[in-house]
Amino acid sequence: MHVFFRGLLSLFKGMKITWYYLVHPSTVVTQQYPENRATLKLADRVRAQLAFNYDENGFHKCTSCHICEEACPNASIHVIDRPKPAIAKNELDHFIWRLDSCTFCNLCVLVCPFQVLKMNPTFESSVFDQRLLVYNLTTYAGATGPVLMKQPDAEARNKLIEPRSVYDGPTALEGYHLAGIPPGLYEPTSTTGVPK
Amino acid sequence: MEITGMTAATMSNTEVPVSSLDERIKFFQNEPQSALATQEYFVNMGPQHPSTHGVLRLVLKMDGETVREIIPVLGYVHRGMEKKAEYIGYRQQVHLTDRLDYLCALMNNWVMADAVERAMKIELNDRILTLRTIFAELQRIQSHQLWWGVFGMDLGAFTPFLYGFRDREKITAIFEDTMGARLTMNYIQPGGLMYDIHPEFPRKVKDFLKYFKPILNEYDELFTGNVIVHQRLKGIGILDGKTAISVGASGPVLRASGVSYDLRKSDPYGVYSKTQFEVPVGTTGDCWDRYIVRMQEMRESIRIVEQLIDNIPEGPTMVMKFGAKIRIPEGIYYNQMETARGILGVMLVADGTEKPYRLHFRTPNFNNLWSVISMAKGLRLADLVAILSSVDIVVPDIDR
Repeated sequence: MHVFFRGLLSLFKGMKITWYYLVHPSTVVTQQYPENRATLKLADRVRAQLAFNYDENGFHKCTSCHICEEACPNASIHVIDRPKPAIAKNELDHFIWRLDSCTFCNLCVLVCPFQVLKMNPTFESSVFDQRLLVYNLTTYAGATGPVLMKQPDAEARNKLIEPRSVYDGPTALEGYHLAGIPPGLYEPTSTTGVPK
Repeated sequence: MEITGMTAATMSNTEVPVSSLDERIKFFQNEPQSALATQEYFVNMGPQHPSTHGVLRLVLKMDGETVREIIPVLGYVHRGMEKKAEYIGYRQQVHLTDRLDYLCALMNNWVMADAVERAMKIELNDRILTLRTIFAELQRIQSHQLWWGVFGMDLGAFTPFLYGFRDREKITAIFEDTMGARLTMNYIQPGGLMYDIHPEFPRKVKDFLKYFKPILNEYDELFTGNVIVHQRLKGIGILDGKTAISVGASGPVLRASGVSYDLRKSDPYGVYSKTQFEVPVGTTGDCWDRYIVRMQEMRESIRIVEQLIDNIPEGPTMVMKFGAKIRIPEGIYYNQMETARGILGVMLVADGTEKPYRLHFRTPNFNNLWSVISMAKGLRLADLVAILSSVDIVVPDIDR
């Protein structure tokens, strides 16, 4: 008989904890996610989206050396360079990054000798179609920032570069819009190279 | 659960009429039914059963409610990780080990990184080793927290699940600060660590330990003392030490059977030799012992972290050049460590290039799964659920 009461007591002991949390609203840990967007702050190092580092003039430092492509474990990065007519070296044309197969292992960021790449903590990257997850990260095709800054003025610089948008080049979209998706929704924001 | 057994009617020699439904109903109504005759039948448990923790499929030979035989069917999450390693480099392979046993991602990283470091004869400084040990122990606590929650849910109590996840969230937040990821961190790299720790890391860990110590007593009050838990676990799924060794079980499953074998003690790596901790050992090897051993391990892990967190040595966190490819000298290398579930070993056959000639993982869950077979024979189906949960199976580790 005393086993029965001891068992009953253990049940009440457990219930005591449950009731304690019920009547103490300060212990609630649930985050109301879509509503708390304004106050939600993720850690700086969170890896959610690959992006280019741009300097104050909007130029990057990528020399298209393909080291990130080599380090990528599952070929999520495809660097396409274009021959430079004046100098023998090549320069960056498209930087294709596949979010759909990326595992966010961060190796591309770490092996980059010029710190071109970074991982952004912007985690809301859902889209309407899987094909929209193949991005071109560079905003322009052309030489690196230090090379371009040697040019005398902005006009001479603009002659050397060509603008590129997020879905330019050998992405799944190739610059076109998908049927059923309003145009303008995935227009590139010019500074970050990440769709809005 | 889908029953694939045959009824008595289909087993008998009389042919079942196929012409019309009415005739068939009539046939089965007239079939003489013996109340005493029983027949063994097969039941598929999984691959989508919630308490098999993933896509594990067990074909059970049942006699009523009693389990007569268990045949595990594997391969539902096989990703060819070991074969893949022959095509991607050593550095890239580390990020795949995250996906072996995803609850011990850091320890898996460490095994692989350490194997490469030993092959390359790289000497690590104390800062790297201390931080790796702290992270491994935090991960062990985190893994056991999740196990505790899921264990409760498998036994029919939903509350522990919420409590376990609530406290696990605090550790994942600490990990997120330093590593930028919560589950598949890829943080421990050959040659050191990916980043230095977050400046607030020691304070946050101390806060967590202060918070979590009383919480463990709360766990005990809520779940360990519960009479239903005692009834469900005591004397269920007994695994004796001899069988445990013969099937190659390791980790808490082995230690609950009374075999005190922990690589952290018997073959210390990291800075475990500088720390004081006990290896909890069970006596009978039933589900209750496995439960108590894991609860005790959490307390010991807290002890280890407490000893290390106050005096993290200074120094660089990466001692070799971070290149895309790593080349290790020709030879065969084996390295093993104690993860939260047991011994994870990695065997490397290197041919001097940047890719391994052959790579093999000796994963703890694969061997622990075979101990379930000897444990559950003759018990009820509901006991099998408790046994599977007490062994703490993670299926991607079995299939890899």
